Parts: sequence; structure tokens; C-alpha cells
Amino acid sequence: MPKMIFVNLPVADLARSRAFYEAIGFTNEPRFSDHTGAAMMWSDTIVVMILTHDKWKGFTDRPIPPATSSEVSLALALDSREAVDAMIEAGAAHGGTADVNPVQDYGFMYGRDLLDPDGHVWAPFWMEPAVANGEQPMPAVAAE
Amino acid sequence: MPQMIFVNLPVTDLDKSKAFYEAVGAANNPAFTDDTAACMVVEEGSIHVMLLTHEKWATFTSKKIPDAHTTAQVLLCVSADSRDAVDGQVDKAVKAGGKADPTPTQDFGGFMYGRSFEDPDGHIWEVMWMDPTAIPAGEPAETAA
Repeated sequence: MPKMIFVNLPVADLARSRAFYEAIGFTNEPRFSDHTGAAMMWSDTIVVMILTHDKWKGFTDRPIPPATSSEVSLALALDSREAVDAMIEAGAAHGGTADVNPVQDYGFMYGRDLLDPDGHVWAPFWMEPAVANGEQPMPAVAAE
Repeated sequence: MPQMIFVNLPVTDLDKSKAFYEAVGAANNPAFTDDTAACMVVEEGSIHVMLLTHEKWATFTSKKIPDAHTTAQVLLCVSADSRDAVDGQVDKAVKAGGKADPTPTQDFGGFMYGRSFEDPDGHIWEVMWMDPTAIPAGEPAETAA
């Protein structure tokens, strides 16, 4: 069976976050959602679990660091540059913040970053398929 | 195109973290690996972990890196095929220098079993087995993963 990943994220306002994730292309799975958490499906095997802080505390006693810090950045591969822009715009219109980090535009690759309402970092990107599937080597990218 | 996620994590020692992720079953993809980053494949074509040096990480964001040993902003959970596979992966993590069970074991009898380990930088991974036949059809679940 293919492995699944569940990305568990603490959120301050479950309804607000659910609306945000639906707006950027996730689908709610009601069988794994209640008033303490919601399963948001990106695919059959990629799931974001948004959890209230109370629910989150049942899983770990480590405090949540401030949103000015970032433990992780979650990148999603999209089919086109336009799809990247569309996700950023939809997120910004539903409580997210666009372009908190530099836009990456290297010709063969295009990526923008989006904060969810709690400051979790998402990084939708498009990559030239021949590079992504290894048919062509990744071009050198000059450091900013 | 299949849906793909790349979980980007900052690490203090790239070689050490690369060895750790290989030990717990991820395969390195050399096409997206250099001395600043390593692409580790959890599930071919869908789930990847990108390990990034702090220097590389800093080129992407000005946000500070929190100490993942003492705080947690995300809990990453992957599925396993059996209870034994859950225990096996945690054992491998411990042998490779990780820490077992930073979060409580979740043992719901016959239908779900989850444990966790932390990587050398403190990032928490949960490993969970769930009996697919036990998932209720169309009924809201009381227990979130």
C-alpha cells in the first residue's frame, strides 16, 4: 500500500483554517473531522490535519513556537506557473499572506510562498517536467 | 501529474541527517542533492523530505528556526503497513541516533497504533498503522489522526 503522510498543524481557529485550506485546493474529509480537528485532503495519500490548540496539546507537550519562526516549509508541486499564482491569490483572499519569502523564478522553476492564517509556510511551485523527472539535470541556480 | 509534497526541514548537520533518514527507510535522490540540501524519498512520486542546511534555509526565508527539541510547530505522520512495522521504524530511528516516543503512544486496540521518533534536530515523526477495514464509511470519526 502506498505510504500516506499526515501533516498535523495547530490552528487557532478551526473554521477559518478549514475555509483557507478549501480555498487553496484541499478537500475536507468529514470522516476524519470533528470540532477539534479537520482532515484536509490534497490527494489520497497527502493529508493535512488541522487541529485546535487543545487537541494539539494531547499529542505533544512542546509549546508552539511563535509564527515569526519556522520549523518547516511545505512545498507542493503544481502543474503550471498559473496554478502557483492561483493558489497564492486564493490563499491571500482567505486569510493567508502571500509572498512572505522571495519569489523563486528561475525559468525551469517557479515558486511562491504563502502563509496560512496561523503562519504555517506553504510553498507551491512548478518545475519543468524534464527537470523534475530527471531527464534533464537541474540547472545551476545562482544564490540570491 | 501525481500530487507531490516536499517537506522542507532545516538541519544542522546534513550528512548526519541524511544518514538518519536513510536508516529509517527513505531513499536519497541524488538528482536533487548537493552539499546544501538532500532530497529523501519517503514514497516515490508523492512524499519527499528535503533536508536543508541552515545556510540554504536562510536563502528561502528570513524567519528564525525554532528549537525543535523544545517546541513543535508541526507533527509529521506517515502510515505503516502493520503494528510491527511501526515498532520496526521506531527501533531503526533509535539505532540511528534518534529518540523514541517524544509523543505518547496511541494504541487503540485492534484498529490503530501509533508511535513517534524525533530526528537529530528534534523534528517529530509519527508512524501510524490503521486497519483500513475499521474506517467507518461516511461516519464522522471521533479520533483525529
